[in-house]
Amino acid sequence: MTLTIFNGSPRKHKSNSTLLTEHFLEGFHSVQERENVRVCYLAETRMLQENLETFKQSEYVIVIFPLYTDCMPGLVKEFFELLPVKDSLATLKLGFVVQSGFPESNHSIYVERYLKKLAQRLNCSYLGTVIKGGVEGIRSMPSSMNKKVFERFYQLGVHFAENGEFSGEIMEKMKNPVKFNSMGLIIFRFLKLAGLVDYYWKTNLKKNGAYHKRNNKPYSNKINRQL
Amino acid sequence: MQPEPNGFSIYVSDLTRRLQKDHTVNHFQLREMSISHCTGCWACWWKTPGICAIKDDMDRIFATIMASEFLIFASPIMRGFTSSLLKRMTDRLVTLLHPYIILNNGECHHRKRYERYPDFGLLLEKEHDTDNEDIEIIRDIYDRFALNFHCKQRIVWLTDLHKTNEIAYDTNNI
Repeated sequence: MTLTIFNGSPRKHKSNSTLLTEHFLEGFHSVQERENVRVCYLAETRMLQENLETFKQSEYVIVIFPLYTDCMPGLVKEFFELLPVKDSLATLKLGFVVQSGFPESNHSIYVERYLKKLAQRLNCSYLGTVIKGGVEGIRSMPSSMNKKVFERFYQLGVHFAENGEFSGEIMEKMKNPVKFNSMGLIIFRFLKLAGLVDYYWKTNLKKNGAYHKRNNKPYSNKINRQL
Repeated sequence: MQPEPNGFSIYVSDLTRRLQKDHTVNHFQLREMSISHCTGCWACWWKTPGICAIKDDMDRIFATIMASEFLIFASPIMRGFTSSLLKRMTDRLVTLLHPYIILNNGECHHRKRYERYPDFGLLLEKEHDTDNEDIEIIRDIYDRFALNFHCKQRIVWLTDLHKTNEIAYDTNNI
């Protein structure tokens, strides 16, 4: 099996998508040879032509990206617009991984519908879309807190290398919660009251000396200004 | 909003002229503007709250959006979704939100930075293989966008079904 992973994060090597990919590949390489895998970064715009060629020549492709305003980032869409249609991709097997900062997967199921249709439009076999929420900030968390998510990406990689597909069972587990149930809502409200929901943002605002400016509204004084 | 002037651009320019009879209209031709991709640096949320670190033409768009009562996102459908050019612009709009998370509709969303955000309509031009499912997917994703931006998607127009005078009429009645 030859697999190409296209990383669609604007943060490139320093992205959460990279981190999740590393754990996926660790599992994948426990089964398959390293030389069968290539990782390309869509934010490397100077590599655009090469990335397009690699896409066309791949047997299996996984596109991983962070959810940006409820969909794929603009640079990922730009790449999709340049892919060939008709029969040239007919033998390609295409899957996606969408990760987002929101804890619920409900935010990402809308773009999943688009991705499924895109694979159909490109005439590829669709391998499905892995959805993982709650990812923002994982780079700064202690690895013990991320053990479960990393282990799941590892197992996802093992299964993919063995079967050429995403494990439906792992995908289902990662999708949870789709939305908060009543207990989830109670826990969220408690954490919000305790100041823990926004802890990551507050810490970084303070670290940058910007906490006192957190509610700034720089464009509100321009109302009615003729532009 | 495609790379070259075309029927769609002419259509949008005609719509702009019609809307200008009753409204102050700011028409941004995105392809003629310098708009970089969001880099996900979060400077707008934790270094200079509300201000994007990238200095380009988005500053004019941010100010105009916050001064507007209504927005129209106009785009040809390309590979089943609005253009990457429009998406590149909307990605940058996170600057207008606050990083803190609230519950809205039982879901996590970012808090408002401003009191109000303008509602919007979506104007689409079909591509050769667009079907009803594509339109539904786009509409639903923009409904999600509206939920995150504390506003409403009021209407979706299609250039092959709606004349510019009809869109102007609809806009006057929103």
